[in-house]
Amino acid sequence: MAYRIIETCVNCWACAALCPSQAISAAVPHFLVDAKKCTECEGDYADPQCAGICPVEGAILNGLGEAANPPGSLTGIAPERMQAAMAEIQAR
Amino acid sequence: MELTVLGQGADTTGGGCASGGCGSSGDQLAHLPEAIRRKVENHPCYSEEAHHHYARMHVAVAPACNIQCHYCNRKYDCANESRPGVVSELLTPDQAVKKVMAVAASIPQMTVLGIAGPGDPLANPERTFDTFRQLTGKAPDIKLCVSTNGLALPAQVEELCRHNIDHVTITINCVDPDIGARIYPWVFWNHRRIKGRKAAQILIEQQQKGLEMLVARGILVKVNSVMIPGVNDAHLKEVSRIVKEKGAFLHNVMPLIAEAEHGTFFGVMGQRGPTHAELQALQDDCAGDMNMMRHCRQCRADAVGLLGEDRGAEFTMERIEHMEIDYAAAMQRRAEVQAQIEREREQQRNRPHEAFVALAAPQGSGRKTRPVLMAVATTGGGVVNQHFGHATEFLVYEASAEDVRFIGHRKVELYCSGGDTCGDAESALQKTIRTLEGCAAVLCSKIGFEPWGLLEAAGIQPDGEHAMEPVEDAVAAVYREMAGAGLLDEPAATARATA
Repeated sequence: MAYRIIETCVNCWACAALCPSQAISAAVPHFLVDAKKCTECEGDYADPQCAGICPVEGAILNGLGEAANPPGSLTGIAPERMQAAMAEIQAR
Repeated sequence: MELTVLGQGADTTGGGCASGGCGSSGDQLAHLPEAIRRKVENHPCYSEEAHHHYARMHVAVAPACNIQCHYCNRKYDCANESRPGVVSELLTPDQAVKKVMAVAASIPQMTVLGIAGPGDPLANPERTFDTFRQLTGKAPDIKLCVSTNGLALPAQVEELCRHNIDHVTITINCVDPDIGARIYPWVFWNHRRIKGRKAAQILIEQQQKGLEMLVARGILVKVNSVMIPGVNDAHLKEVSRIVKEKGAFLHNVMPLIAEAEHGTFFGVMGQRGPTHAELQALQDDCAGDMNMMRHCRQCRADAVGLLGEDRGAEFTMERIEHMEIDYAAAMQRRAEVQAQIEREREQQRNRPHEAFVALAAPQGSGRKTRPVLMAVATTGGGVVNQHFGHATEFLVYEASAEDVRFIGHRKVELYCSGGDTCGDAESALQKTIRTLEGCAAVLCSKIGFEPWGLLEAAGIQPDGEHAMEPVEDAVAAVYREMAGAGLLDEPAATARATA
């Protein structure tokens, strides 16, 4: 099992330095996890480090393909609230 | 702004003319110990007076962050947006060094290089310190600064001290974890993401510890605080008092920037920022305890130039690649240009301040004049030298019968960009005039017929008579003229009450 970084990644570098397995590398258009190296931090840390510091909800998926940080979990903005705000902005 | 050394037993002269008023802003630094004065006298972010003359730049080498603030969104990157945490181009340390050398060769007024993000510099220690290490060797005349949220500060203080950094800014928005929990949703600490009150508590502890460690090592510390109405506005006075006690040099209370389109928590949730008047009132409240910085422009993490301007677009990596630079000659030229600036500052300082001598006159007649705000259009150099229609910001001063003091700045949109954009002139001009609300006069080098009439109609007196005069002298002169014309008399009831 391995974590995965997807296209919403903003390339902030925070995860790469923390990975105990050096599984994360800078790439274009976004950072990538080498699935062969990723250990999900087992044996090193209680929490997967990349998912623990990532500031973008949904940008990292766990081994099951689920968002490690689901919408609302980091910003505190409920998904409906965010959608309403974005709809209001687009309607301007 | 008064720049007194705090907590170091300096012989400060207190109020009166030494408190930064009386038009002689050059004297603000005169009472500081020589070593401190040298550190701040040409630093645009530490000296209000210096920011008229000297330039700074930030290099965006530090992308990672170890905390989340409710006023920040790490997704944001826009060339047209100017606020902390926003950059257009992330640089490697080598690229950053090249950019600093190119900018310092092109803008000889540059004295300061800061690393302020777009994440937290101390959460990117290799990139940050590699940049500093290279610059210490290649541009020894440039001052190095760093700005941090403080979480990693205690762990990095020793390393900071090794790099000849003598200015550090810590953003401290609270000293109470319950308030902190409403500003910081999480911190990353000891390999775990911590949320809620506990997160704020850890952050506050590290900030305070870091502040103490820096002061103990003789590093000048500026504290930045974001004023968030209803969250920490009432609390910031205590923050000011505590950081002063611990030896911070300067406190910079900045207004929250929150727009829904930024996608920040505060923006999306409709949290408002403070009004000009609320910000000024809090800064004045804190000023009793602490030296306040009022000229901050909340610049981008890749800003370049004088504080009011951003010339970043002239120095993209693509452009820098093609620049031929003689580093030694550039450093020589910086020394010459900066020596000339110092000669001009000295001259401004030594000019007799006639306007102030005359200021007292109306009082002799038993009339009492009220303090008023005045806006000034300037491109730098400490003089009134900008056309009203070219101003992207106005500096605001408070003039009274006793003195002139700097209050802050107000940003406006250009309404006059020439050519065929004049169709929208009316609305942008109206917006500018609304931004100047509360000001009794606006001083500029020149002003068009149309804005003149609209300003007058809005109760703001336009003035183009003091072009090229030192700003504070010009403000004092306009105050005297208005007082002489009876425009500034206290309302009758008040005058009687105080007579």
